[in-house]
Amino acid sequence: MSGTPYPKKPMHRFAYTKLTREQISAKLGAVAEHGPKSLSPLATDFAGQSLRIITDTGPALSYRFASNSKLSVAENGGKAVNAGFGALETDNFCFLTHMIPGSQRGYVVVVDRKSKLATVIELWFSGYEDNREVQRQIYFGYVDGGEAAPKERHEVTNRLAGRGYHWRQDTGMETLEYYPSSAYSHFVELSRTGGELGYCAPSDYVKLDNDFFLYTRTECEFSGTFTAYVIDMNRTQQLGVRLGFDENDELHYDLFRGHGDIVGQIAHFEKFEDNSGNPVPGPKDKDGKPVKGGRAVYRPLKTMEKLTPEEVDKIVKDHSAAFPARVTTGGAAGMSANALPASDYLAGKTFTVRYDHGPVMEYKVDAADELNWRRDGKGDWIKARYQSYEVAPGLILFGHLLEGAPNHDGHIVAADFHQGLVTCYNGYLNTPYFANEAGARTLFGVLEMDGVQPPLYRRHGRTTEMLGRCITYSYAPGLVSMHLYSTPNTVSWIIFTPDQHGGLEWSGPGDFVKIRDGIYFMYWLEEACNGTLGTILLNLNIMHDAGIGYNCGARGLNMSAIGAIVRHAGKFDVDKYFQIKT
Amino acid sequence: MTRNTTATRRAFLKGGVLLAAPIGAASVSGIALADGALQERVSQLEDEAAIRTLHHSWLRQINCGECEARLDAAVRRISVDHAAAPERIELALDHRSAVGHFECAVEFATPLAKDSTLAQMAHAQGHGVLRRTERRALTVSYGKADGRWTIMQVRVG
Repeated sequence: MSGTPYPKKPMHRFAYTKLTREQISAKLGAVAEHGPKSLSPLATDFAGQSLRIITDTGPALSYRFASNSKLSVAENGGKAVNAGFGALETDNFCFLTHMIPGSQRGYVVVVDRKSKLATVIELWFSGYEDNREVQRQIYFGYVDGGEAAPKERHEVTNRLAGRGYHWRQDTGMETLEYYPSSAYSHFVELSRTGGELGYCAPSDYVKLDNDFFLYTRTECEFSGTFTAYVIDMNRTQQLGVRLGFDENDELHYDLFRGHGDIVGQIAHFEKFEDNSGNPVPGPKDKDGKPVKGGRAVYRPLKTMEKLTPEEVDKIVKDHSAAFPARVTTGGAAGMSANALPASDYLAGKTFTVRYDHGPVMEYKVDAADELNWRRDGKGDWIKARYQSYEVAPGLILFGHLLEGAPNHDGHIVAADFHQGLVTCYNGYLNTPYFANEAGARTLFGVLEMDGVQPPLYRRHGRTTEMLGRCITYSYAPGLVSMHLYSTPNTVSWIIFTPDQHGGLEWSGPGDFVKIRDGIYFMYWLEEACNGTLGTILLNLNIMHDAGIGYNCGARGLNMSAIGAIVRHAGKFDVDKYFQIKT
Repeated sequence: MTRNTTATRRAFLKGGVLLAAPIGAASVSGIALADGALQERVSQLEDEAAIRTLHHSWLRQINCGECEARLDAAVRRISVDHAAAPERIELALDHRSAVGHFECAVEFATPLAKDSTLAQMAHAQGHGVLRRTERRALTVSYGKADGRWTIMQVRVG
């Protein structure tokens, strides 16, 4: 097949098979016997060697190597079992991996031959309600050579926070990978899915020494595939492994080497002396001890309210609210604590918005919070509650619900009264997966009003100027996120911990329109998440935005103000990995 | 009717000196008068000490997460603000009630409502609580029954 391999569905829409334990065991048997595949040459000279690793809180592993692909391993002094393995090496680091035959478990072991320190990652299937999701537990320890145990250990860290890489592996896999958090990472599969959308996964970051780091991710909520690799920070090379079942339920257990480019380093916001990692600890048992393999995972589809079209129709009829009174804590209204003040710029104005290949919207605005609209010059005028914000002189963001529209539309409009140009994010419901999940279409058009002469040909246009940027949004005390615009169609958001570490992260499709120099109109869709359409008109000249959210849940259809004081955290230089620059 | 007292060690010594000073030169009636005043003063100091002990015990309980019912549920911790005005205990003349005034640093924790994705994610990572510390004046009402002081009401000003 020629051309860009765009997927038919985004990853969050795949219906991954709920594999049974038996199905997983059946496929694991062979790979446990033979070890991982590798296109790059495996490390050699293992025959006849032995290795004993002691970990602080985990297993003691005693290895005997029969060849470069066969070993026996005894866990905690138990009976040794034979297994296939593979190893890759760089400088003084050895990265080896194997499964335990007859089980669904395996190990990734990283040994520093110079310092004698070791990191052991235990892996297993069938440890979560979705059996295919690989579980992991990281142990730190050392190589037992008979001498006194070293005091140092590898350690989790935030030292990789803010880094971005373009990786090209020997498997042909090409990715952009962003590390905006020390608990999560964001990856864009350029070769496999054309890089249209990026996705998020819980991750570990381990400092091996100042030149080499270990990274992992588990594609939770997706295929459940586990990836781990050592990064050579100076040569920008990687060596690692992928273990998991793909969307066709094929098992992959592949070692790989890769070459990369640093695409950028954005700011991170912890105190300067804070280099700690694992900022979002996993769950603990009743005795307060960490649960083995436990980790903080954002699973939005599980908690999302899902409504049928009939339920949506009823709830919209009974409970629709546009711009409820602001509150000071929490919620979408809580996201307006730092919002710009509502404007009365539109009050008393009469104007028409003519969208290209779209509706003609006529407006008669009574007051600062009430307007009348009519569509395509037909029917009665309909009264609606609205709010508007003057984001820059003569540039107004306003939004209102379209009562009576079959899909319960809302219009969120960036109207430039100086240039006579308008862009609308038209939110609507009754989308294919969940009826209450918002969809959005982008409408470009002109504004007609006495005293405003709109252009004939010129329009606002989509832009890649925001691509790669990271912007922090401070909506309210305790409610701060950072956006990462990882592809021309992706908005990812990272939640901070109280001590300013990047924590959980998620993402969705988005759109980016340039309104004026330094002013961008953007949306994100919380697909398979909460179903919200979030829009913001970001003014980088004043480092503030104004925004409007459109959401339907069990409590009704809601349009509400959002707004934040923003900071620019930096920009990843990734334009060249996408085909069109606008 | 209440009487203001100051609870610093200096005030205690100063009062003691003033009370002790007239004893040697006084007449019999003067001695009796001074004796009554001394008794009253000792009683007052004992009550204040008991209230102070009760207050410190209560602070420890608050800071251990107990006794939350007496306060705004958002209060998580109370620390004495040593840089502020000294504590003040107003004891009723009948020694059956008192009001304490304490300048404190009060830590509040307010859960974020879970009706936005950001707030839900903050909760999911165990940080869905907004913490802030404010300088506040505590006004505590005490009552005495069967020789024991108890806290009747606490107001966070």
